[in-house]
Amino acid sequence: MDRVKIEKGTSTEERIVELLNSAATDAGDQSRVDHLIKIQELIIHQEPALLDNFVDEITAFQHDRAADVRKTVVGFIEEACKKDPELLGKVMHSLQLLLGDTSIAVQKRVIQALTQLYKVTLLWLARAPSVTQLMEKTWNMLNQMKLQIAKMIDHDNDGVRTIAVKFYEMLIVSQTYPEPDSIRKENEFSLEEIPLTLKVARPRKLEEEAQLMLEDLMKYHGSAHISSANLMACMGSLTHIAKSRPQFLDRIVTAMEMLHANLPPTLSKSQVNSVRKHLKLQLLAILKHPASHERSSNIKTILGDLGATPQEINKALPSAEEIAKHPR
Amino acid sequence: MPQPLKLAVICSSNMNRSMEAHNFLSKKGYRVQSFGTGDKVKLPGAAPDRPNVYEFGTPYDDIYQDLLQKDRELYTRNGLLHMLDRNRRIKPHPERFQSTSEQFNLILTCEERVYDQVIESLEGRDSQTTPVHIVNIEIQDNHEEATIGAFLMCDLVAMMANSDDLDNDIDEMLQDFEAKCQRPILHCLLFY
Repeated sequence: MDRVKIEKGTSTEERIVELLNSAATDAGDQSRVDHLIKIQELIIHQEPALLDNFVDEITAFQHDRAADVRKTVVGFIEEACKKDPELLGKVMHSLQLLLGDTSIAVQKRVIQALTQLYKVTLLWLARAPSVTQLMEKTWNMLNQMKLQIAKMIDHDNDGVRTIAVKFYEMLIVSQTYPEPDSIRKENEFSLEEIPLTLKVARPRKLEEEAQLMLEDLMKYHGSAHISSANLMACMGSLTHIAKSRPQFLDRIVTAMEMLHANLPPTLSKSQVNSVRKHLKLQLLAILKHPASHERSSNIKTILGDLGATPQEINKALPSAEEIAKHPR
Repeated sequence: MPQPLKLAVICSSNMNRSMEAHNFLSKKGYRVQSFGTGDKVKLPGAAPDRPNVYEFGTPYDDIYQDLLQKDRELYTRNGLLHMLDRNRRIKPHPERFQSTSEQFNLILTCEERVYDQVIESLEGRDSQTTPVHIVNIEIQDNHEEATIGAFLMCDLVAMMANSDDLDNDIDEMLQDFEAKCQRPILHCLLFY
């Protein structure tokens, strides 16, 4: 039985070496991507024990000339660190380099990966018996990237701004505490996971940072130059934050009221229709949350103006029981 | 080179408008799938209050045989048999969008109600950070409009497939397209 296992293990390893060689020599960009995806499948899903052996060889492809190959490396790093957070210390530097990549698509992929790995890193720190120098260095690197991403909400590229908005959303939810009536996603991360004694990432400081980032996100949501697509991404993020962290619901409803009264002047007629429709959907979702009770008359007025029918509004209203359960 | 677009075309029953566009776009070589968002697949019947109703997943061929047996003359005259014959050559059966876990870069819908149902379905899922653009073009549910709609969708997809950076270009492209096609467009951005 043991022999079979060893043979199987050896053959996976050999297969990976073979694929790495092919990826190194293949001239076709898509072929190199395909080889790397196969390696990822083999390592992450079949032999995670081999991760540590091969992570350097795979991250070496971050210097590949093709943006798609570099994107695949980012995808590999994301999956590898989710599987084994100990690798974070090894790969954070690669992510830092790739965040400054010349290709917008690679930059966006890095922000997407960091939106996931930020929580993984915090949990890695929170659960460690003691924070090592490497962990501290890794966290500092991630913090530098966080500042870079925060600035990207003003990036020249609309798609980068969109992905940055999603990073803000993750950070605001992850770095605040849930309330009893928070709508929680499966495996959602929050400050509850961080011990008060964690020196490198003090929960109080993280919470303050989240508050500032919420301010920034609301400012961006209300800015006159925002594109229609990003305005909708922002509305969606703020709605998610309002439902997950009802302590912010009141401020978010105010931001949406202001948006309703003052849509960006740059929007075309049909963009205005799309945005108004999206605003209606977001407000209906917020109205469903019992914490919106005190603002419900304002929300209903705006909804009426946005074309919601009385039936739609009544359907969204929480029951008297749900409102009674809501903590004041 | 950007990754090729993965797109979905969606109407109510995955019979007429979405299948016409599916046919057209796949012939042009695009990676396209089609869906419906209704509860059931509905086709006109012998009278307005007697539609033919099927479950999603019923093979187009079974529906073809059913109509053939019910009234060959009527369903030949109103084009339903012809449409089903076309559909069964494209894929086995109508699919419901709400039941698929596939992810797309671009979703095109054919009427506002369908657009709303797509958004409702996507918002109910656990979203991450991968953007999906949803665009609605109003197309009436008849054969002629379905053909015009498929042409319009094809024009739009050709523009988008040529873009190196769709997320950055889409707002402008939709404005240009709307001016050209003279139909109201709805657009929103959600995430998988």
